[in-house]
Order: sequence, then structure tokens, then C-alpha cells
Amino acid sequence: MKYQAVIGLEVHAELSTKSKIYCSCSTAFGAPINTHTCPVCTGMPGALPVLNRQVVHFAAKMGKATGCTVNKLCKADRKNYFYPDLPKAYQISQFDVPICENGEVFFYVDGEKKSCRLERIHFEEDAGKLLHDEIDGTVVDFNRCGVPLIEMVTRPDLHSSAEAKEFLETIKTTLSYLDICDCKMEEGSIRCDVNVSIRPEGSTEFGTRVEMKNINTFSGAVRAIDYEIARQIEVVESGGEIQQETRRWDDVKLKNTVMRTKEDAQDYRYFPDPDLIAVEIDDEWMRQIESEIPELPIARYERYLNEYGMTAMEARLISDSFAKAELLDEAAKSVKPKAAANWILSDISKYLNDKGAELPETKLTAAKLVDLIKLIEAGTISGAAGKKVLPAMFETDETVEDIVARMGLKQVSDEGAILSIVREVIAANEKAVADFKAGKNVTGFLVGQCMKASKGQGNPQIINKLIAQELAKL
Amino acid sequence: MAISRKEIEHIASLARLDSTGGIFDRLADDMQDIVGMVDKLAVLDLGDITDVIDTERKNAFHPDEVVQEYTPDQLIEPNAPDFQAGGVAVPRVVE
Amino acid sequence: MALYEKTAAELSELLGKKEISATELAKDIFARTKAVEDKVQGYVTVTEQVALAQAEAVDRKRAAGEALSALAGIPVAVKDNICTKGTLTTCASKMLYNFKPPYNATVIEKLAAQDVVITGKANMDEFAMGSSCENSAMHPTRNPHGLDRVPGGSSGGSAALVAAGEAPLSLGSDTGGSIRQPASFCGVVGLKPTYGAVSRYGLIAFASSLDQIGPFGRSIEDTAMLLDAITGHDPLHDSTSVKTPFEGSVRANLKADVRGLRIGLPKEYFGAGISDEVRKHVMAAAETYKSLGAEVFEISLPLVEYALPIYYILSSAEASSNLARFDGVKYGYRTPHVGDDVVSLYVKSRSEGFGSEVQRRIMLGTYVLSSGYYDAYYKKARAAQRKIREEFAAVFEKCDLILTPVAPTTAYEIGSKTANPLEMYAGDICTVSVNIAGLPGLTQPCGFDSNKLPVGMQLIGPRFGEQTLLNAGLAFEQASGLRNIIAAL
Repeated sequence: MKYQAVIGLEVHAELSTKSKIYCSCSTAFGAPINTHTCPVCTGMPGALPVLNRQVVHFAAKMGKATGCTVNKLCKADRKNYFYPDLPKAYQISQFDVPICENGEVFFYVDGEKKSCRLERIHFEEDAGKLLHDEIDGTVVDFNRCGVPLIEMVTRPDLHSSAEAKEFLETIKTTLSYLDICDCKMEEGSIRCDVNVSIRPEGSTEFGTRVEMKNINTFSGAVRAIDYEIARQIEVVESGGEIQQETRRWDDVKLKNTVMRTKEDAQDYRYFPDPDLIAVEIDDEWMRQIESEIPELPIARYERYLNEYGMTAMEARLISDSFAKAELLDEAAKSVKPKAAANWILSDISKYLNDKGAELPETKLTAAKLVDLIKLIEAGTISGAAGKKVLPAMFETDETVEDIVARMGLKQVSDEGAILSIVREVIAANEKAVADFKAGKNVTGFLVGQCMKASKGQGNPQIINKLIAQELAKL
Repeated sequence: MAISRKEIEHIASLARLDSTGGIFDRLADDMQDIVGMVDKLAVLDLGDITDVIDTERKNAFHPDEVVQEYTPDQLIEPNAPDFQAGGVAVPRVVE
Repeated sequence: MALYEKTAAELSELLGKKEISATELAKDIFARTKAVEDKVQGYVTVTEQVALAQAEAVDRKRAAGEALSALAGIPVAVKDNICTKGTLTTCASKMLYNFKPPYNATVIEKLAAQDVVITGKANMDEFAMGSSCENSAMHPTRNPHGLDRVPGGSSGGSAALVAAGEAPLSLGSDTGGSIRQPASFCGVVGLKPTYGAVSRYGLIAFASSLDQIGPFGRSIEDTAMLLDAITGHDPLHDSTSVKTPFEGSVRANLKADVRGLRIGLPKEYFGAGISDEVRKHVMAAAETYKSLGAEVFEISLPLVEYALPIYYILSSAEASSNLARFDGVKYGYRTPHVGDDVVSLYVKSRSEGFGSEVQRRIMLGTYVLSSGYYDAYYKKARAAQRKIREEFAAVFEKCDLILTPVAPTTAYEIGSKTANPLEMYAGDICTVSVNIAGLPGLTQPCGFDSNKLPVGMQLIGPRFGEQTLLNAGLAFEQASGLRNIIAAL
């Protein structure tokens, strides 16, 4: 029998606020143990939470960017459970009235446009970190306690690991477009839990679902989903029944194991947090949030295909990066999009990769890129010279013209000046002239000599033309 | 609503309390009485109850600015029952 | 008259005129404590050394000509569930037997800024759960007016210390009557402010939506002084705190005038459960108000019948979550029998650290929030709470204040009600509605029963009605002469 997988995701993203969600401690990653703590985030008796406004702002932005309804009014609820990384023994989250509901995310898989509905987005606090290597037992580091998260819960709309991966990539790109998450996977900025069930192909009923936790990378999600689908098919094929349970993915051993069965399902006893009050996003605030949503990656991707005539690969590579996409679109107002795209995809990307830099950290601007392209198009510099100019465009505030001048890369296109060089070169190379007369092709050699004589600044097209013209006179 | 001993044990385990302790025999009886008292609320007719958000007060926020006032040796160590390697220590947690 | 017998207002004047020093005053207060504390046992911790140093510092400031607050140098005792940096704050629980907070509650910061001298930490029912102070894990506190009697609770220590002359003022907290009922039992004034008027930051939570810190004093004026000192919006620390219209100005605006004031007597508060003596004295107070020119009439608050179940559901639900953080991991008591897994660390620490009343409430709260019961209990109680709020709001269209008894009886004998928790809970019937509705409530003495035990009355006001409450309290205090009552010990 053929089966269809039904997949839902719960994606957690850490918001890149400066301070924590319910106190003013720093959210910076990697600080020494327990140095980013205060009475609030360590659950000291009597300490009380006060919500970080920016968390609401960021969460609502993500909602707007994913087509959600952003609720004007929402509240915080307590999720009660005991664990050493949870100092209050409850997590402040959102239960029945999340900040955002009913969204939809679009993405492409193998050129086909797909979508996955979002049930909700809510904000909540992260837990601490348990360290097992320091001592015989476990030590608790509270630094991550209270770092703001948004949790995005999808409907079970995905049907393969490839779809899940593209969905996750789109979420990540969207977060980075909105500048609300640093998207550093290695620091756990984006994590996900996966719900998988299978059903006979063509069926519309849902099978028993299994939740998988501890998935830390998108490629890990792919492996975990593929493994779980195969496992479930095997169970069903061998006459077994899928148990509703939570399984833990091990990305080293490449398998999952049971964490919790349905019987020990937790009772979190959610109730409204009486230490916090309602959150209201009024019309003005909502307008402000809306005004901060840029054109999103999927829209740009489609525009690059349809309007800029780029290939899918090119469009994807640029639209995946907000900074590159902005650079392209800004430059495309003044030069041909393709010309700008080529620079971005080749030398600009190479420079950034080599330096490990991010575009906004550099001094490269769209205006500079436009100047560069125009100088090449006008023949003022050669394409090769353009490549030499580029590093300085990233690193200094000089105009492109100034860099060209400083580096002496200005191309000589004055025919009179070039003609005298050509004549000198022909006069100085009797052997070449003899060879020419003997019927050999010496143009390439002579062009090289002329370039050398012009210190590389002669316009090669003009040199070519004039050599042909002078040789013809012989 | 009568509460069974099994339910009492379940509630105790949710609350991380030891239901085998001596006080729990009495507590089970007390719970019966107390639940009987709170059950009086059942006769109060409030019509359809929808959970509405309390909007008497709205929007208390802290600005997104970092204030780091404490060090772990002031904040955590003095009250920690077992402080090791910069943090509170517990028996090994197997995840 | 010894210094400890004077009111805070009188002492403030003497200090201001430099007729006495803060150090002299503190020494006198601690001499009184040494003389009577064995009998009263109102403290968990006496901070004499720190207090004397504070008093000396105040004296130096005054000598240097600094402008000082009205409370500068005045001794104040603080309930042991309010965090004091570096000073034991136990909630009268084994669970926090060794806990020294790394920070000060907002009210403590405010008192420190006004150069108040903190005398120590007052005894209470464990985690403020109780009405008699017998649930303290340390020791019971006794009623200074009858040492075989309870002082009330949960702020029993705070009330008893003021009644015994061990402090002119104290802070308590009130979740369902925990300031007003002990004030009534001990013959002092106690005020539960409007919810949000006083920051809860640093108050170790029992039930967050009901808890409120408030002052005890032996006169209306003293109580107003301490109220002024602790009120204030605390936006960066307590989301539920609010700006009040009367911030810091209640004492200055005190006026003993009730002419034309409309006072409602809700008939449900004078029913069968209330002892004849209590009823008689509160009705006499109503007559006094009439004679002073107030309009007194009967009103009805029918939902009061449901106040106890609503209160016990809401407060226990919140408590079960608020007290989950006491798990033996980060602070306070950890079982010496740590096993090799963290669950047994939790279960043993909590079962050994919490007393039986606390465990009862945690069990009830966990139950009403648990799957399958949430709607029938917690959700319904929240809906009923809104109804009670509406009912009070409607009543306050017709009257300015409500006059009721505080408790069904006067102080009862220690041990007489501990066997049956429900009987103990029933004693909260007159006070819990005020917390459910978030209103201010004032208790002050209105007479003595046949055992010479104080009888208190309760005035309830609308939100932010503190000034009206205290004005009415002052009018009665002046008419009755029932003020600054210190127990003969």
C-alpha cells in the first residue's frame, strides 16, 4: 500500500530583543554561567514579571508577515510543570488567546508553489540550560531563562520532509527579513518539534500522530521526518498500531526513542497569569507594525523570476538574503537588474563569504554598485578593473570614481593616445611584423604588448581595432 | 463531587507532594469536605460562561533596555542548597 | 507615658522637634519587646542591631539639618512574607527557614527612602494561609488582649506587635482578610488598600490577584501615614500596580466628617453565622454614624453567599502555581534525603518543607486547575468574580461606604478551630469579598465583648475610596474614643 505522510510543525524562534521577555537582563548568547540573571528570571520569591514591549511588537510583525490575524487583545498564561531548568516551575506562555492566529506560509518545492497554514503564533519565555559535564550531577544555568521566544504552530498541511524543509527555510528567511531573530541555528535560535502521522494515500482521515522533540537543524528535521515516516510504515505494514507518544530524535544515532507515552501525558494546568495584565495593540501600534513589513522573500522571488528574468536558482539565492535583495532592487532602479544580479551573485557574494561578513556591516551601497556598473558600461574601466575596485567599495567611504582614480584603473579610450601606443609597439616589434607578413596571427601578442605599454589602462576593444587598422596599412 | 483516593494521588503527583505521608490520610478527608464547600458554586447560574480577558488594566511594559544588576555570587549562591560550578546543582537529570 | 505607648503621629512630632531621638525611641521599643515578647511571640526575627544603626543614622541626618519624612525614625515591623535584602524572610515556613532575599521589596525600598526603622519580621500563618497565626512553622503568636487567644491571621504577628506596643506601626498583607481580621482580633486599625495601590514586588505571593500589602496602626491617622508611605505606581516591577488618585496625601486630607455620607449595611453580613456580640457592636457603630449625620440604610449583596467558594478556588489555584517554585532546587529547604533523581528531590523537599495547611491549599488549587475540572471550578469562579465586582459596583451607585462585621466572632482560643479546616475557612466570610472585588477595606475597633476582647468593624469602599474610608474611620474614632489601645501585658 502507498502511504501519505501528514506533518505538522511547532517552530520556536528566539527573538532578538536586547533584554529578556519579563525582566531587563541581557539576552546575549554565551555569557558565563548565571551572569545574565536577576530575581525575576531566577524565580526568586516575590519577584514579578513585566512584559518587554518589543516582544509584542516582534511577535505581531511575524504574524503580519505570515498572513495571521493579529489579535488586538491577548494575554499571558502559565504552563505549570516541574523541571530544574524552569525556576518558577511554570513557563509564562499564551494559551487560549495567542497574539496571532490563522496564517498561511507559501513556499516552493521543486518549482511548485505550496502552502502551509499556521494555526497560531504565541510568545513565551525560554527555559534555562542543564549542564551535565561540570559535576557528577547536573548544574543549572539560568542565563537563557526568560529569553523571548515565539512559537509557531502549523496545521498538519505538510506531506514530506522536503516540504517541511522548505517551510522551515521560508520561516527562517522571513524572520531574518523582519530582523526579529538572529537565526543562528548553532546557538539554538530556531528549534522545532515535529508531529508525524501516516495514512493510506487518498484517505482524508488522520492517523495517530507521534510527536518528535530535540530537532536542532533543518537537515536534522528532514532526517527525523524520513526516519519516522519509514518507522510508522514499517509498524503498520507488520500489522502493528501506531501509539500516540512523544519520541526523542537522536541526530547522531539517526533514530528516535520513546520519551513519553500517552498515559504520562502532562497536565499543564494552564491559567491566566495573575501577575500580568492584558496586552492591547491599538490601531496606531498596528499601523506601525504593518509599516515595518518589507516585501517578503516569496514575493521577491516571484518578481525576480517574472520581472528580472532571473533563473530560479539566482532568484532564490538573492531573495534568501534581505540585504542582497534590497541591494538588487535598489540598484535595479538605475541599471539593468541582470547586471546588478550578476555582481551580487558572483563577486559580492564571494567577498562576503571569504570575509565571513554580512552585507549591512560593510560600506557597500546600492549607489556604489550602480556607479561601478555604469563606469564599466561607459567603458571608463574594464570589467577586470571593476573586480579590483570592489574590495575598496566594501571597506572605505570613497566614491567608486575616487577608488578607480587612486588605483589608477581608469581605462584610456582616447583613440589618439592609444594610436600612438600602437604605433610605438608595432615599431618596436619587428619580428612580429615579419611574422604578420609571413601570414601569422600576431594580434593577440600585440594587444598584450599594448596593454603592457598602457599600464593596463588602454581600452582593449580600441586597441584591437587600431592594431588591425595599422597592420592593414603595412 | 467525591474524590477518589486515586485522584488524590494523581493530584499529589502533579503537585509534587508525597501522598504516602501521614498527613495525607487526613488531607484526603479534608479535601472531600473542602471540595464539597467549593461545589456550592455549582448552583450559581451564570448563564454561558466565556473566558473573557480582564481588560480593567492593559499594557504594562518594560522598555527593551538591558539592566544587569546582579552577579551569581550575590543572587544565587547565598541561598542555594547546593552550589557548584557557578550554579545550583541537582541530582543528574537524564533527558 | 512611655514612648512605646505613643502613636506614630505623636512620635513623629517629638522627633521633628528633636525632643526625642530615633535612637531613644528604638531603645524604648526594644525594651518593650524584651518585656513582653515572650508572651506575645509576634516576631519571627527581631533585627535590633540593624534597627539601632538605622536609628542612629536618622539622628545624624536630623542633626545635620536634612529635611526628613514624617516617618523618619519611626519603628515599623514587617510581615515575614515581604522581602528584606539580607534579612531572613521565611513566610513562617520551614520551606524558607534560611532564606535571605537578595533584594528588597518595593515597599521596603520606599520605607528605607523615608528613613523608617525596621524592627524585625512579624510572624504569620505559613505563606499567609490561615486566619489564626497557628499555621506558623515557627510558633503561634498570642493575642495580647488574651494570651490564650489567637491574634487572628494571617498577619497575626503584625497586628499583635502593634497591639502590644512592640511597634507603633506594622505592615501586613491581605489576601482574604489577613490584615483586617487580625486587626479586629487585636483591637488595632488595619487597612487593605485597593488592589494595585501598593506594589506587590517583593511580597512572596500567595494569590497574586488578591494579595495586597497594607498598614497596621493604633489610630486612623497613623494608618494613613503608613499608607501614604507605601502607595505608589511601580510600573517597572509590578504590572498590576496602578497610579492612585490619593498617592501620599491621605493623611494630609483627613477630615472627621461623615455628614451626608451614605453608608450601606448589607443584610447578608449580619446573618446567622455572626455572633450576637459582634452584631450588637457593629450595629451600635452604625447608630454612631447616624448620630454624626451619615445616612445609614440596609442594602443587599446576594452573591456574598458564594464568596467563600470563589475565594478558595481562586486563591488556591494561584497558590498551587505560585508555590511550585519552592522545589528544593534554588533556595530554602532541601531534603537531606536527596535521592538520585530530581523528582524525589522535589517531592521530599516539598512534603517535608510545607506544613499541612499549605499542602491542603496546593492540593485544592492543583485539583481545580487540573484537566477536566478547570471549567467547573476555576473558570466558573472567575466568571462569578466578575459578577461580584459588578454587584459591588452597583451598590456603590447607591452608597459611599459599606459597614460590616470583620469576623463572625472575636478572638477564639488557641487550638479551638484547628481540627476542622472548613470551620476555620468560614471565619473569612466577611472579608474575602473585598479581595475578590479588589476593593479597599478598613478595620478598626468598635468595642469590647464580655471577655474584654476587642470587636472590630469593617468599612468597605469603592476602588480608590481610601480617603473616604479613613475619613469615616476618623469620625468614628473621635466619636467613640476607641484609639491607641495597647493591651495590658
